[in-house]
Amino acid sequence: MDFDLTEEQNLTRQAVRDFAENEIAPIAHELDEKEEFSADLTRRMAELGLLGCFVPEKYGGSNMGYISYIIAVEELARIDGSQAATIAAGNSLGIGPIYYFGSEKQKKEWLPRLCAGEILAGFGLTEPEAGSDAGSSKTRAERKGHNWIINGSKIFITNSACSMTGVVVVQAVTGAQADGKPEISCIIVPANASGFTAKAMKGKMMWRASNTGELFFDNCTVPAGNLLGKQGDGFHQMLSTLDGGRLSIAAMGLGGAQGAFDVALEYANKRIQFGRPISSFQVNAFKLADMAIEIELARNLLYKACWLREKGRTFTKEAAMAKLYCSEVMHRCVHHAVQLHGGYGLMKDFRVERLYRDQRLLEIGEGTSEIQRIVIARHIGVAGRAI
Amino acid sequence: MNMIVCCKQVLDPEAAPSTFKLDAANNRMVQPPEIKPVVNPYDEQAVEAALRIKDKDKAANKITIISLGNNLARDVVKKPLSMGADELILLEDPAFEGGDSFAVASALAAAIKKVGQFDLIFCGRQESEWDDGQVGSGLAELLGIPSVTIAKKAEVMDGGKVKVERIVADGYQVLEVSTPALITVSNELGEARYATLKGIMAASKKQPVVWKPADIGMDAGKVGAAARKSKIVKLFQPVKEGKCDIVSADSPAEAASLLAQKLRENKVI
Ligand SMILES: Cc1cc2nc3c(=O)[nH]c(=O)nc-3n(C[C@H](O)[C@H](O)[C@H](O)COP(=O)(O)OP(=O)(O)OC[C@H]3O[C@@H](n4cnc5c(N)ncnc54)[C@H](O)[C@@H]3O)c2cc1C
Repeated sequence: MDFDLTEEQNLTRQAVRDFAENEIAPIAHELDEKEEFSADLTRRMAELGLLGCFVPEKYGGSNMGYISYIIAVEELARIDGSQAATIAAGNSLGIGPIYYFGSEKQKKEWLPRLCAGEILAGFGLTEPEAGSDAGSSKTRAERKGHNWIINGSKIFITNSACSMTGVVVVQAVTGAQADGKPEISCIIVPANASGFTAKAMKGKMMWRASNTGELFFDNCTVPAGNLLGKQGDGFHQMLSTLDGGRLSIAAMGLGGAQGAFDVALEYANKRIQFGRPISSFQVNAFKLADMAIEIELARNLLYKACWLREKGRTFTKEAAMAKLYCSEVMHRCVHHAVQLHGGYGLMKDFRVERLYRDQRLLEIGEGTSEIQRIVIARHIGVAGRAI
Repeated sequence: MNMIVCCKQVLDPEAAPSTFKLDAANNRMVQPPEIKPVVNPYDEQAVEAALRIKDKDKAANKITIISLGNNLARDVVKKPLSMGADELILLEDPAFEGGDSFAVASALAAAIKKVGQFDLIFCGRQESEWDDGQVGSGLAELLGIPSVTIAKKAEVMDGGKVKVERIVADGYQVLEVSTPALITVSNELGEARYATLKGIMAASKKQPVVWKPADIGMDAGKVGAAARKSKIVKLFQPVKEGKCDIVSADSPAEAASLLAQKLRENKVI
């Protein structure tokens, strides 16, 4: 067994950490306050190679291993959840489906611009009435001549309604299967397609500098060739995309937990009460010890899930476990970290306040914690089909 | 243009002071195991200076990095490669340990002679462990080439000369130097670029060339500590003492005169 990270992985961590500390940290608070997505910062993250991490160089990607990609997201999330969200969704949800399921023509058309950070892609799955039950999409796409005509709406779609959005991949019902169940497919919709509108959603509690959009399809028309992969493959494509996406959400939990630990340790060592640093009171030292243990466990679990993926083995169960565990570890870590900061932890001037809010999404997005437990239960031999 | 940049692996100068440890018996600093070493920040800027020249014409310019030390961490010394440098030579051997500026400059000079072809050598203005700032000038002297220190800009001009802007107390001088030459780079050059993920992938595929003393024609018994011209008599961490007297008075004027009195008593003014 080898627990050492490779040279590539260590260099990646250092490079992304340098960037996050020097370029993101100084402006993260202001972007959060103003609830502002920064195209400039996103482009600079793309220059670093953060979009298209796992895509081969011939399509403009950085061609790194999956663990390196996850380390990059972890390091961004250590400083700022919003920027980590832009990159995690940009890769796993935006670039991922086109790279893994797109035709050569589709890859050549979209990937170079996506990897260069000229445009961003969104992945539209969730609908107002189809959240956890993602298979119950109401959005329909009908084939008419050489086109698909799409009608319906999507909600909460990351990177789908900002100045950089170039394309969204949308899950829609394209017919019925032999057993009467809906046939689901994914279709590539360019941002300028006729009948398509995207509206930025405002007033988020967390990820305030990440773009979230509501999408409307009103006889939206795209060429027949925009079907992603085969007709009827949409549900499988969605499940596989979410497996990858869960690893990146787990990375955000891990990175955020590490960030909370780092600020809490620094603060608790400096803050003097009763003539001593508050970290020297056992009750506080134990909080820090508990955080350190859980972060270590979370990291081992997540890296193992990524390692399985790199080896081409099944990792659905481990991805669900890592997503669930890392987001819940961050939950406990931000809770302790705010407690250690006392009143200051409730103030927006302190990074821990933002970490506390940003954590909340992780137990909801890309499958709630309840849904992760269902996925895990299905893989560990519980009787019947867990729902 | 063939460029060589000398880069040293150092203790992270940003690390918390509490992690700094000395081996007083041997007059050495100790690398704490939990803290990763880094490339000396001024040396990163020296790499940046070379990269800015290379940016103008990638094919016509080549950058070779040379690092000297022992137990060099590959994921640290490869950073300049991931920023865009082409090759990495490591002078790596236990015998190289413990050298002073003269010992280091001598070994670097021997290595550079072995490389043979070079037009420009860049060094950081000083390294962050000892802050001596002598290796650059010493190296130029040993190679018999001109040097310009504390540069904030270096540009290759038509005809091959190099225009250098050199920091002085109240501004900067503009100098022209013919090649081959050595330039030491200061922080006024501006931030060094980030390593890119593509650069990291390229760097992880490159294997550094490792030279021992014998490979550069030196006797292992006459490098590093054995080649020192200077001797450290005593290395110690001064104890930080803070004493604070609060001068209080009824009016600012009275406070000022009491403060002046105190300062005079303590021979500060
Ligand atoms: C900021 C943000 C970004 C997002 N980005 C994207 C994106 O890019 N693309 C995308 O497609 N979606 C995105 N989403 C949507 C996200 O994936 C959904 O919000 C999530 O899947 C939950 O769906 P829902 O909100 O409709 O909640 P519901 O499904 O209505 O769930 C409500 C509650 O009921 C519980 N519940 C539901 N079913 C069960 C069950 N069978 N057993 C037990 N409990 C159950 C849930 O766990 C939850 O606690 C994003 C959401 C947010 C907030």
